Amino acid sequence: MNTLSVARRILVGSIALLVISACGGSTTSPTAVTPTRGGTLTVAIWQEPNTLNPLYGTQTVAQVVWEVAVEGLVRADPDGNYIPVLATQTPTLKNGGVKLNGSRLDVTYKLLSGVKWSDGQPFSSADVKFTWETILKDPKVSTREGYDKIDSVDTPDAQTVILHYKEIYAPYASRFQWLLPKHLLEGVADISKSDYVRTPLGTGPFKITEFKSADHITAERNPNYRQKDRPYLDKIIFRSVPSREVAIAQLKAGEVDVMWNLLEAQLSDLEKNPDIKLLVTPGPTVERLEFNLAKPGTPADPAVPHPVLGDAKMREALLLATPKQRLIDKLLAGKAKPGDSPISIGFFSPAIRQEDYDPKKAKSLLDAAGWAVGGDGIRSRNGVRAHLVITTTTGDKVREQVEQVLVDEWKQIGVELEIKNVPSSVLFGSWSQNAPRKKGNFDINMYASSPDPDPHETISGRFSSTQIPTAANNGAGFNYNRYVNADVDRLIAQAGQTADSDARKKLYGAILKDVNDAYTNIWLYNRSGIDGYRANVGGYLGNGWDNLTWNSQDWYVKR
Amino acid sequence: MIRFVLRRLAVSIPLLLGISVISFLILNAVPGGPLSAYENSPGITPADLQRLEHTLGLDQPIQIRYLTWLEHFVTGDWGYSYATQQPVLGMIAERIPNTAYLMGTVFAVTLLIAIPVGMYTALRQYSAGDHLVTGISFAGLSMPTFWLGLLLIIVFGLNLRLLPLGGMSTPGADFDVVDRLRHLVLPVLTLSFVGIAHYSRYLRSSMLETLGQDFVRTARAKGMSERRVVLVHAFKNGALPLVTLAALDLPELFAGALVTEQIFGWPGMGRLFWDAATRADYPVLMGVLAVSASLIVFANIAADVLYAYVDPRIRLA
Repeated sequence: MNTLSVARRILVGSIALLVISACGGSTTSPTAVTPTRGGTLTVAIWQEPNTLNPLYGTQTVAQVVWEVAVEGLVRADPDGNYIPVLATQTPTLKNGGVKLNGSRLDVTYKLLSGVKWSDGQPFSSADVKFTWETILKDPKVSTREGYDKIDSVDTPDAQTVILHYKEIYAPYASRFQWLLPKHLLEGVADISKSDYVRTPLGTGPFKITEFKSADHITAERNPNYRQKDRPYLDKIIFRSVPSREVAIAQLKAGEVDVMWNLLEAQLSDLEKNPDIKLLVTPGPTVERLEFNLAKPGTPADPAVPHPVLGDAKMREALLLATPKQRLIDKLLAGKAKPGDSPISIGFFSPAIRQEDYDPKKAKSLLDAAGWAVGGDGIRSRNGVRAHLVITTTTGDKVREQVEQVLVDEWKQIGVELEIKNVPSSVLFGSWSQNAPRKKGNFDINMYASSPDPDPHETISGRFSSTQIPTAANNGAGFNYNRYVNADVDRLIAQAGQTADSDARKKLYGAILKDVNDAYTNIWLYNRSGIDGYRANVGGYLGNGWDNLTWNSQDWYVKR
Repeated sequence: MIRFVLRRLAVSIPLLLGISVISFLILNAVPGGPLSAYENSPGITPADLQRLEHTLGLDQPIQIRYLTWLEHFVTGDWGYSYATQQPVLGMIAERIPNTAYLMGTVFAVTLLIAIPVGMYTALRQYSAGDHLVTGISFAGLSMPTFWLGLLLIIVFGLNLRLLPLGGMSTPGADFDVVDRLRHLVLPVLTLSFVGIAHYSRYLRSSMLETLGQDFVRTARAKGMSERRVVLVHAFKNGALPLVTLAALDLPELFAGALVTEQIFGWPGMGRLFWDAATRADYPVLMGVLAVSASLIVFANIAADVLYAYVDPRIRLA
């Protein structure tokens, strides 16, 4: 396997703030032993964290590490609900924490009292305000999304923060996942050049005490942690290993106790190992086949339909000729679920089901639509041959095997599929790099992506016609389908201005139904996060919206 | 001699400049770039991307970026990593001791074994021992290090559980010589095996050539002991090519072994380069390339000088 492109793919796939394919889900902890206090746990990480400053980081692996030390106001629980961390409650319209002020939004957080940073200094509302100021000031932060919609931050007392949003910003709860210590960083001119990027100071159960690059990172118990009798462990060591394969070997040998992020195909011999427990948790990552509805070009013009994929009947037929369940059983060891929409889990997941495998129906659809079978078994209509090119990231074994199954299956309904893969850096490249996906110069892309617990950015970015990358908007947006539907545009705009979650859920359901009826994508399968634990480790709990270390205070080890 | 060295050093400056230009162009031609990690993240807006591009100076034309890099580089400012924000010089300094520790051991083990083996096979040409060593050498020469490394990991680490699977020490443990040595065994074995095969074959053929020379016959005719003939006359001359070989391999002491460090999780220069390459971290890549290119150029000069020293027939001019 090409580690380089795998590493790239993972990097590229990770989402800045709430993550991703790596981990978690909502299942129970398998061990029911009384937790014991003390001990050291070693966690294998097979990528090298670049930076442990949460405001700079984009890697899932870095979040796995910093999350034992750094906390924020709220976080997503396994069900995708935002639960308070350093706040007393998650502000909503109902509990009065969120107030509509004309076209503006005021969000009030009440902070827990008595919380201390791991160096013993008190945590207060000033730290929240400082974090916001830093995000707007520091040019190296990964994103200012949402924070730049805040006009001002009031701190009437040490336990109260009021965020004044300039507009109604529905995903407000997804902001301030990580907070900076004002007392430490206030006088620092450039945080990127300070020790904070390697040993961030937080309020979490552990504090990072040592960072030896490419070797290990040590986190020790935070003596000032607010929760009584927690954490159980004295120490967590994140051991840097060069690849998943080596991490598996070390897990088997007992050199490490926990391994982050396994692949489905690697499970078969681990499952039989009595010393190892696997935690499989459904996550929000959805693997998809993305159809280009516009005629390929650099850039593509959304007004000109794709000669083959422009026909909705063709797209429907391709869906019917795709054996999702068989792909999952044969290629993913059954460790995934067939996909139905881009929002696979959580409160906002819609009740939509994509049609099942039915190649017979696919053929009759194509017959009826005038796609006639030619002498070589491939259909054509009005001189247009049903020839399509599929593109995914090179070096990904599972994806390459899926492609081969599709070539075979689709040939049987008379559609010719050609495989042309590119490195992930090309597929996911930018507008200025002429990346095929951005410019619309492709037929079908296959890749995975995952939404935040709040799906607004994903739904609006992927399906609003304003989000089609063009020269005019400098390549902004993720509507690579080049899908245009005025109704959907209207509903998306409406959802963005709605603060009530139930009403938003209805709107998103309607949007995703329209999208599904247009057969813009085949949602192949919903990925699960898979982590491996030695049998003597307990207390872990899967969380598909977060990383395995999200509840590290509850971890324990029995020696 | 000094004039020779100075002249060679002067010539190496345009050479190194050329290397840096080519390296910079190739790195920048690789699709993706340092910001590709952000491209597929819906959480990161195009405005964010533009800001980061500007912050890193990536919106500048390539020639400006190169000249900026060069200007800083020659004044001792090797820049900051795009990915880790750490100073490049510091990142390299952090890794060089680890690599030198591994590669130094490899070097010593290789020479200590290869020299007696090479001499033995030359003196006992076509004996059973020679055939055996020849067979093993060819296995060593044709074996990819990653394969041998994995094999050793599986056998000694996984099956026999004798040695650790990777890393330089047990993480979190206090310094312990035995622990360090245990971590050293497998990577050293992997790299030395290939090295020994290499060096012993060279020494064998050059010794064979020397043993057939007139001066060796003369020495024997003078009634010298065989031991003295071999060690003083034949070996001293036969080992000359080894000097060049060893000098040319010296840069590896600091540049590291990319594949082996990767397999054994060794926190050295090879892995630094690999990690930087996977994330298009140009400042780090340029720093590492500059170090290894300079080492190679200087090792070449050193080899020439050394050669003149050990072989009086050669005069530097």
